[in-house]
Amino acid sequence: MYLRNGKIGVIDLETGESSEEEMISDSASSIRVSRDLLDKFGPESMVLGTGLLTGSLIPASCAGTIVAGKKTMPLLGYAGIELKLSGFDFLVVNGRASKTGYVWARDGIVEFVELASAARINSWQRTDKIRADQGDSKIQVVSAGPWCDAVNPASQLIIDHWGGEDKVGMGAEFGKRNLTAVAFRGMGELEVAEPETHFSKCVSLIRNHLSKLGPNMGLSSYYEGARKEDFASLVHRSVGCYGCPFPCRTFVKTEEDPKEMRLMHREPGYLHYDIPALARAAELGLSALDAARVFVRCAQAGAEPVAVLNACSAKRDRVDANMIERLMVTPTEIEVSFKGNFEASFQDKHDYESSLGLGLCPRYWSKVGYDIDSLSSCIESALGSKLPSVD
Amino acid sequence: MRLKLEPLKCIACGLCETVCSMHRDSVLTPMTSSIMLHIEDKANYFGLVLKTKSEGLVLGRPEGTSSGQQPSGAGGPGAKPILLREACDLCDGNPKCAGICPTHCITVVE
Repeated sequence: MYLRNGKIGVIDLETGESSEEEMISDSASSIRVSRDLLDKFGPESMVLGTGLLTGSLIPASCAGTIVAGKKTMPLLGYAGIELKLSGFDFLVVNGRASKTGYVWARDGIVEFVELASAARINSWQRTDKIRADQGDSKIQVVSAGPWCDAVNPASQLIIDHWGGEDKVGMGAEFGKRNLTAVAFRGMGELEVAEPETHFSKCVSLIRNHLSKLGPNMGLSSYYEGARKEDFASLVHRSVGCYGCPFPCRTFVKTEEDPKEMRLMHREPGYLHYDIPALARAAELGLSALDAARVFVRCAQAGAEPVAVLNACSAKRDRVDANMIERLMVTPTEIEVSFKGNFEASFQDKHDYESSLGLGLCPRYWSKVGYDIDSLSSCIESALGSKLPSVD
Repeated sequence: MRLKLEPLKCIACGLCETVCSMHRDSVLTPMTSSIMLHIEDKANYFGLVLKTKSEGLVLGRPEGTSSGQQPSGAGGPGAKPILLREACDLCDGNPKCAGICPTHCITVVE
């Protein structure tokens, strides 16, 4: 089975028991397979999954998904590929934990690990603690924060330390299950049918894309607001997700000189890729510096920043960082109006779900033009056959 | 012929690790590569470590590139330390990491 492990991990949070099942679906889409698994295991389950192309050499084949009920969110950065390298194509999470803890998947093993201190620590500290406890700094952590624990509808899950993927309140789904995080790491490997051909076809495709796109400017290549002087003056470096040749992630330093390249401050700033949150902050008159600091606090709390900014602006004309800090400390249930971040990449929801379900970043693929036929030689060299159904 | 690293051009996409392992074992994984991406994500500090036959370890850190270190230490239970990995063989004259690197952070020089 090319580009698949062929395994689905299942964990019951109530009993802590885990099992595995064979992957039998013939759909290439993580979203389709996840919905089928929800039908099988029940609507209260949650499924983390990877697309058929996740982890291939096709540009920006970094994506995984989390599906719960009608909610779907992307898993970007290195989380999608690390889930696949953990030995599972999908993880099904059933039940509710009686004690706080996290799901830990690695090398074909999935288990529930108690994290008694979770109630006292924020999402960043949870990620740091899980990595320290398991002894590996490259563990990918999808972490809930205190707002998620409180099942606040304006919560968001944080991937490693950053937010932007969860615009559907998936954090509250973790809270309902008393789940503080899901962590992945693995030494897995993915077989491809014709490695040399897959390599050469994908290199050609990357070069072709880059010649059309021109120089990459990080987030400002995707969002004009990031070209403004106050944002540009804080920019440190841009970072790609796995396999992305044209990144949209730009790190800004707020706590030290952005040009400092040495490892000095352990928490020097924030990695921006949440376009609607940045746009809303700008509309409300926050400087780039204040916006980054607000997003750090939102990420630590597991709070969705657009909802937070809207809640503050509803109370007063002028929003400031202190106001938001007070809201972080005493969260209240606030109205949400999620418009999506990566979801907004395509006008057509079908294209969004198709690209994401395959494991391809919707933002990158909307930029270069999502045309599945243009990928056929890359796909067939990996699979040894045509792409199965995406629906 | 050798590989030249310009770490400030790196965007941490990880393709170099994957194609290096593919050259060795014909599978996609970062685990058997001669080149490793080092990331401190919260600090946005990242660069590359390359195990070579002639220069020992080449460290491509954001503050500069150095060589001559000997491999030692482990990277944790989920990782395969560079000590246990093969040194770069330059893919028999056509290094795949340089071929796929989208930013030309890795290039081939004589």
